[in-house]
Amino acid sequence: MNHFDNSAQLACHECDQIVTIPELVDGQKAICPRCGYVFTRYFKKAQSRLLAFSSSGLVFLLLSFVFPFLVFTAQGSEKTVTMVQSLQSMGNGTFLSVVIFMLLTTVIVPAVILGGINYTLISAKFDRPLPYTRHILKLVFYLQPWNMSEIFLLGILVSMIKIASLGHIQFGWSFYSFVLYIGSMAATRLFLDKYQVWQWFRHHDKRGYGRER
Amino acid sequence: MGVNDNLDKHLEDHEHSLCQDNVGIKHSFSTCDMCYQSSKRRHGKCRYCGTPIHIRKKDSLQNTVALLITSVVLYVPANIYPIMYTTSIGDELASTIVGGVITLWEQQFYPIAMIIFIASVMVPVAKIMALSWLVYSVKSNRIISRKNNQMMYRITDFIGRWSMVDVFAVTVLVALIQKGNLMMVMPGVALIAFAAMVVTTMLAAFSFESRLIWDNPDKNKGKNIDV
Repeated sequence: MNHFDNSAQLACHECDQIVTIPELVDGQKAICPRCGYVFTRYFKKAQSRLLAFSSSGLVFLLLSFVFPFLVFTAQGSEKTVTMVQSLQSMGNGTFLSVVIFMLLTTVIVPAVILGGINYTLISAKFDRPLPYTRHILKLVFYLQPWNMSEIFLLGILVSMIKIASLGHIQFGWSFYSFVLYIGSMAATRLFLDKYQVWQWFRHHDKRGYGRER
Repeated sequence: MGVNDNLDKHLEDHEHSLCQDNVGIKHSFSTCDMCYQSSKRRHGKCRYCGTPIHIRKKDSLQNTVALLITSVVLYVPANIYPIMYTTSIGDELASTIVGGVITLWEQQFYPIAMIIFIASVMVPVAKIMALSWLVYSVKSNRIISRKNNQMMYRITDFIGRWSMVDVFAVTVLVALIQKGNLMMVMPGVALIAFAAMVVTTMLAAFSFESRLIWDNPDKNKGKNIDV
């Protein structure tokens, strides 16, 4: 299963060298001979793996909103923190901008990315491209650098250590779900290969689906 | 077997074609940054996905410099003003970014102190310096190594987001400890300035055109540059 068009020439995105991408086997990557830019990394069944990880990531992200995230016990009082609650408690006054930024980069952008991947891949899987597939794919790739969920996880761990001396912290189900979501997101990122994803859809177009400008 | 033979032959072919003349701009040949559709044009829209094509990003250096200056300006309040106020039993303690690192170090949280120091002090400065060097290097043709420049750009592009770690840590802390019985954490102005600085340095990295690192104006002919 290899949809590469071998005759296609490309100009490297980073150094403008004109190259052709050779046929690749599982695990191989195509890099630019001049600057080392990675054009694509080929994995067997990347499409199914991508769909599996992106859908599980979406489920874990949604689940991390349902349960308590942390239980913080200090000076005899216990406080259960959920994601929604913590966002609400900060959402006032001058720091609204930071909270909105955090909400966008750690929840909304990743959710749109994962949702978009699911939407487009399901349509590819059943050989029936759904409407706006190209627009959604473009949105997914535009948003990618703004996905900061793994940095948020590191931020949580740093703040945990900062207050570790003040009380007792217990992780809730949502926290574990969030960690699993970060794992799925990392795997999704590994298999989300811009070059190949577009090749899949071009393959469909050749067979008469989609819309050519 | 077959595929690997193909690959070897392919690499040999590449050695031939690997010269300064075989670049897109000389043949008016461009590849869409979004969907890898190649076309014989310098601008316009990609015929497959509709993304605007620029064989070189327009006004790349000006935009990068403008955003870099903005981030330098934002860097000052981000470090002077407190990022967080901790109130415990009536005592209010304001801590700046560097102050927070020192406190963590004194409390013997060495790895965390290192992470915060690297992410919020070293990385932004290194990023601003790296991008300034790249702009200067491209503008004045003072190139030491194109490969190193490219690597520098790639690292800058990749690492920038991680500076946000302190912003997220403070925000989580504020959410955890608020209007409590004895303790309270409030965010400071530096939080906004710092977050804005990270965003502007990210935008500066995006607007930089890395192909300029490899463009070889005729002025440079004869100089000893590795390709």
